[in-house]
Amino acid sequence: MSSATRAAALALLGLATLLVPARAARAPADAAITPEQLKVERHTLSNGLVVLTHEDHSVPTLTFWQWYRVGSRNESPGITGISHFFEHMMFNGSKHVPPKDYDKILESNGGYSNAFTDRDMTAYYEDVASDRLDKVLFLDSDRMASLSLLPEQLKSEIEVVKEERRLRTDNDISGMLDEQLYATAFVSSPYHWPVVGWMGDLNRIQRDDMVSYFRIHYAPNNCILVLTGDFDTRDALAQIQKAFGSIPAQKPPAPPVDSEPEQRGERRAKVHYPAQDVSFEIGYKAPSVASPDGYVIDVLSSILSDGESSRLHQALVYEKQIALAAGTAFQTHLNPTLFEVSVEMKPGHTAAEGEQAVDAVLARLVAEGPTARELEKAKNQLEAHFVRDFRTNNGVGQALGYYEHIYGDYRKLFDTVPRYRAVTVADCKRVAKEVFDRRHRTVVELKPEKEAAATAAATR
Amino acid sequence: MLDPQRLARRGVVALLALALAATCATAGPTPLQLPPVKKTTLGNGLVVLVMPTHRVPIVDFRLVTRAGSVNDPPGKEGLASLTAALLTQGAGKRGARQLAEDIAFVGAQLEADAAAEQLIVTCDVLTKDFATGLELFHDVIVAPTFPAAEFARKKAERLGDLASEKDDPSTVANNELGPFLLQHSPLAHPVDGWEKSVTAIVRGDVVAFHRKYVTPGNSMLAVVGDVDPDQVIAALERAFGDWKGAAAAAASYDTPPVKGREVLIVNKPEVTQTQIRLATIGVPRNSPDYFPIVVANTILGGGFTSRLVNEVRVVQGLTYGIGSQWSMFRNAGTYEITTFTRNETLRKCVDASLGVVRKLVEQGPSDEELAKAKRYLTGQFPLGLQASDALAAQLLNIQFYGLDPRYLETYAGNVNAVTMADVRRVLKERFALDDLRILVVSDPKTAKPALEGLGAIAVQEMR
Repeated sequence: MSSATRAAALALLGLATLLVPARAARAPADAAITPEQLKVERHTLSNGLVVLTHEDHSVPTLTFWQWYRVGSRNESPGITGISHFFEHMMFNGSKHVPPKDYDKILESNGGYSNAFTDRDMTAYYEDVASDRLDKVLFLDSDRMASLSLLPEQLKSEIEVVKEERRLRTDNDISGMLDEQLYATAFVSSPYHWPVVGWMGDLNRIQRDDMVSYFRIHYAPNNCILVLTGDFDTRDALAQIQKAFGSIPAQKPPAPPVDSEPEQRGERRAKVHYPAQDVSFEIGYKAPSVASPDGYVIDVLSSILSDGESSRLHQALVYEKQIALAAGTAFQTHLNPTLFEVSVEMKPGHTAAEGEQAVDAVLARLVAEGPTARELEKAKNQLEAHFVRDFRTNNGVGQALGYYEHIYGDYRKLFDTVPRYRAVTVADCKRVAKEVFDRRHRTVVELKPEKEAAATAAATR
Repeated sequence: MLDPQRLARRGVVALLALALAATCATAGPTPLQLPPVKKTTLGNGLVVLVMPTHRVPIVDFRLVTRAGSVNDPPGKEGLASLTAALLTQGAGKRGARQLAEDIAFVGAQLEADAAAEQLIVTCDVLTKDFATGLELFHDVIVAPTFPAAEFARKKAERLGDLASEKDDPSTVANNELGPFLLQHSPLAHPVDGWEKSVTAIVRGDVVAFHRKYVTPGNSMLAVVGDVDPDQVIAALERAFGDWKGAAAAAASYDTPPVKGREVLIVNKPEVTQTQIRLATIGVPRNSPDYFPIVVANTILGGGFTSRLVNEVRVVQGLTYGIGSQWSMFRNAGTYEITTFTRNETLRKCVDASLGVVRKLVEQGPSDEELAKAKRYLTGQFPLGLQASDALAAQLLNIQFYGLDPRYLETYAGNVNAVTMADVRRVLKERFALDDLRILVVSDPKTAKPALEGLGAIAVQEMR
């Protein structure tokens, strides 16, 4: 982007309002991200690979994201965790990049890389200085074209993955509750099993499983590349074409099966483990990206738990003072998912007290909806969070990849703030009533236990 | 919304400093060009730094006061942190609820926190709500009211949090390492204190701590974001002009010498994975060896191709995360290796880690490793200079430690100037672990026999 373009973008953002008094009337949605400010090009190579680019020259760096349309939802019992295992193996050797060399080459060029796996996707990124684009294109096209999956690397890396599982799930209370919540709430959906996989499956995955999984899911037509930062778009596209253009497309993978039946009653599970405090999670069935109600659910989530003025914090932490923390989480997914409520009680308080308090807050939201001011506040908060994500090349790239993959079109991100702005009190009441239905919920409770009993259980 | 609830490949170990140099010395990236910083001192002594950046319509405010957990009175450890937590629980004409409501209404974030040497208040707000952000940011710094009911509530919450931390093996290890390594140093205790010491804090302590330390003469303020610097400085003059107070005497503290090797097992019988900390004394932030240490540490345990990651994670598959960190304060520092492994491989993991250190100290790195480390550090550095909040933190870091005002611009040159001789020297002088504290959080029944021979072993219950 030229400096002239940047200056123009600035004018749109309303610098003139710098010194307005504290309670001036707000111009609606003037901080939204617009296509005029965030100029994006979208191209599709002949092998089906989607490429999104956005130039920004404020610092001499760029971020290169690769979003593979594969996550734990694409797995099946017996090979759970294989998607996440791939996230590790993608750094462990390809045809022209022997094991260890990926990171060596990247770091020798001043780059940083990381990746994450979720239910719906596996995404990789590198942050590098702007003159090192050729290096990341080489590394990332080589592993897409021909990942080695050497037996020795598979053997040692699965141990690393198991340590990761021990860290985040087996020795972490919220990890344990989370795993139990999804395993209990979903019986047929691929969201039943944990992203990291069951320990037994991690011990069971074979190289043959890996080879076939790779061919199907790591094909160029199953991937979105996102390049953001300091580069010239024409030149970068030519380089991307050269690096990735000859990798053959594959038959698209079959969509995962989701035969989840309707939940017809509350489900409960308990986890016994040594702990100081009681905590619990509630998962309410929530719709997939196919439903436009996701935006309303984001608003409800904000009203319930964003900041100290939110309803759950006010009720449980501030007024009753029975909890240390009360939060909600909702992320738009490809399949029907959960709206999560999680509460950590103060010492001496029971899960029943906490549940009762949460129920009262939700019941009131269902019955009365939010106040007009509360709704406006939630919209302002959501808008500010949304804008914050665009502060770095990495953040911009993540948003573009996420919207392109989950919503099917990166341009949907421009709709986000207007969609929030359009939510009414009536929408909130309607969706709250649908989602916060006790028959569609699952409650998982941590039962703090004396250490000796737990040790016996742990040494199974 | 995107809610990051997933698995990342990198270890969770926080790495102190990332840094490095060029394998191909030709054709470097575009030199770093940051917007000019406008620096001034207000009439009351408050140092102000303003940098305009216009990528998104957001403004970040950040205040750093020279007071942190090192200023906690003995027996009241956690006071700085509790004071910080209470700043946002009633200020100026607003009670806690109104403050939370007004900051949320404009989608802003207002936070106050303490660290070892600093009390930090941050506010980020959309540019259009600059005035609201400034008013609330000002009020919590200058005019907190510390309502008695909020004090009681926050104190009870803090005690609950401290109890709850016992359930997290990593936090237990971090909290217990301080006293084990630093004994009675003011740097030894966790910033949030202990259950016993927080119980002893009364409201008057908080009021006095704020009055003594949170003064313009003892503080510095940065504003970075979508703003006009002259307008910002004028607004700050109006807002903070009446704030009075001189600098407090700086806390003086030292760290005791660490001699020989000792082992501490913190009793947590239910874990299947053991948290491990290997630690000794480091250097203060103003050490002339800063850049050689950062480079040497990158080779040892920074980034993803470090000796430690390569040997302990990649080759032996013993852990998911391992790294080495140098924590540097105004007049002391620590050096620490952080990792974890399943209980059965505890000794193997400790031995492997110590073996990596020994070999690097004795033999030094290869030319290739040195070049890689430099290139890595210099490549990473600009990445941390994109977001306005990160820039505000950098500007105040320079001011707080009295670094070169052109620290950000000269960073790459300083890293590249480090020689092999420098690295070999600091490795020998600073990185050897003959004097070492080994702390593990585990089941003593298995950990004690595993650690036999490494030094005198003590077993401690969680406090």
